[in-house]
Amino acid sequence: MSASSIEVRGLSRTFHTTVRRPGFVGGLRSLVNPERVPKHAVSDVTFDVAPGELLALLGPNGAGKSTTIKILTGILRPTSGEARVAGVVPYEERERNARNIGAVFGQRTQLWWDLPVRESFSILRDIYEVPKAQHAARLREFDDILELSAFWDTRVRHLSLGQRVRCDLAAALLHDPPVVFLDEPTIGMDVVVKEQVREFLRHQVEERGRTVLLTTHDMTEVARLAERVVLINHGRLVLDGTLDEIRRRFGSTWQIRATLADAHAEVVALPGIALVRRDGPQVVFGPDGAEGPTVHQALKQVIERYEVTEVAMDEAELEDVMRAAYVQAGPPAEEA
Amino acid sequence: MAALHAWRAARVTPLGELLAPPRITGALLRLTVQVVLVASLWRGLYSQTGATAGLTRDQAVTYAVLAVLASRLRELDQQAGRDTVLQHMHFGTIIYWYLRPLPPQRYYALRAFGEQMYGLAWALMGYVVCLAAGVVEPPKSPAVAGVFALSMLLGQLVLYYVMLLIDQLCFWTLRNGAAMLILIFAQNLLSGVYAPLWFFPGWFITMSRFLPFQATLSVPLSIYVGRVPLSDAGAQLALQAAWVAALSLFTRFLWRRAARRVVAQGG
Repeated sequence: MSASSIEVRGLSRTFHTTVRRPGFVGGLRSLVNPERVPKHAVSDVTFDVAPGELLALLGPNGAGKSTTIKILTGILRPTSGEARVAGVVPYEERERNARNIGAVFGQRTQLWWDLPVRESFSILRDIYEVPKAQHAARLREFDDILELSAFWDTRVRHLSLGQRVRCDLAAALLHDPPVVFLDEPTIGMDVVVKEQVREFLRHQVEERGRTVLLTTHDMTEVARLAERVVLINHGRLVLDGTLDEIRRRFGSTWQIRATLADAHAEVVALPGIALVRRDGPQVVFGPDGAEGPTVHQALKQVIERYEVTEVAMDEAELEDVMRAAYVQAGPPAEEA
Repeated sequence: MAALHAWRAARVTPLGELLAPPRITGALLRLTVQVVLVASLWRGLYSQTGATAGLTRDQAVTYAVLAVLASRLRELDQQAGRDTVLQHMHFGTIIYWYLRPLPPQRYYALRAFGEQMYGLAWALMGYVVCLAAGVVEPPKSPAVAGVFALSMLLGQLVLYYVMLLIDQLCFWTLRNGAAMLILIFAQNLLSGVYAPLWFFPGWFITMSRFLPFQATLSVPLSIYVGRVPLSDAGAQLALQAAWVAALSLFTRFLWRRAARRVVAQGG
């Protein structure tokens, strides 16, 4: 029995697309003899997610995040490799896997457009065979955080985006799945609703022990929610680690500005920390190499080594770090 | 097992209709106008003649009005409810059909069953009103009524599979608007909604025998008005059953193939 909620081993998925030749004659040739080219959406991806862990699966558009999620939800079969979700191979036992997972795909709602939200919930209760008492208790719990009761008698077509996504989140968790897949759940939502959704997710992970696999382009969300990050680009796994590791590897733009108590004190480089410039008592430190300390570790070293009267730090925005990561982790050689 | 518990899926379309009073008013108005116009048309056509194509005036009017009422059985506004397969493919929400512990084909069937039950309620109400008003004739005997009911049931199953087939096209084409227009026209023409098939030339009747459409309405309505005698009904029922079996197998095969298309089209 595995200790992981989600296990992904050497997962690959190749699609074959038809290339249209240019021009009229090319078009005719494509019609008679279409040229099929392989597209490697996911290549040899391996990672694990522990029970009760929230993992952010990050990468630029077209990196292979959604394909990975589709394999894990059982919609898509991998070309090679293996995946298990709560002990089930999702694409082998799609219906069994469906009972173990909940999913929200961005702005795509699973609610019935013409019906009041509560009716959608009842239909899902029926489909997942959730006992009435459990269903009612779970709705109350979700309502406490997401404030659904204010609009759950409204027809879905009349809900705002924020209201609808909150309802979709509740709908995805009504059957108490141990594993939840969220593909850009807060896209297009205002900051207040985003925070409400984040609180809900934190509650589900910390209090209910659910495993969450989240994809998002919102780095604030990643910073506030994710314990661990898996970064993929061009279908390949680039990094599997904590946000600090990502910052260390790709975010070499932090600076520490300090005012020394002694304007003439000798200043030398510290391990992993370079002296960027000095102007009298004003000194500026920066990272020395890719494997340097985090800004917080560097700050500790600076304060311990020098007597400072004032100190300030600038850390690269996570968004900048991710941009650097996406650029540095370019396409593999054969695709370049 | 899940299908028994998922009966609420059958309520999706009817409930959506009931929660939209303008749609009910529209349906009522359209049905009334259609019945009145169709009855007037056939009475007018028969004003100069006693029997045409083996049908008396009353038989022809009964056939035409019942055809209008029966066509109401699957004529619900799924488009407005964003609940057509085409819309689910377009918006990518078809993905959720494959994320539930209920096979998509069973969900589709449950939903269609609810629609047909809702449509049946409309058709029955219209039938009672038309019968009371003397617009349609009652069946000639309880036996005719029984065989008609059985034939109607088989006809609705054939219609369900034909509509399913068109919906399944979406998995390959993404757009099935043209196919749907052809289907609606073919269904109305070849099933005898516009006019009973006996009014058409011989080659047309021969061609329609090789298509499933006449099994949907023409056969049960012909049994009802007495154009097909009970002694010949067995063969017609067998043909309907054969269409149900053939379409059932073919659509089952297509569901399996469609599952592989979900990501490409709706992912």
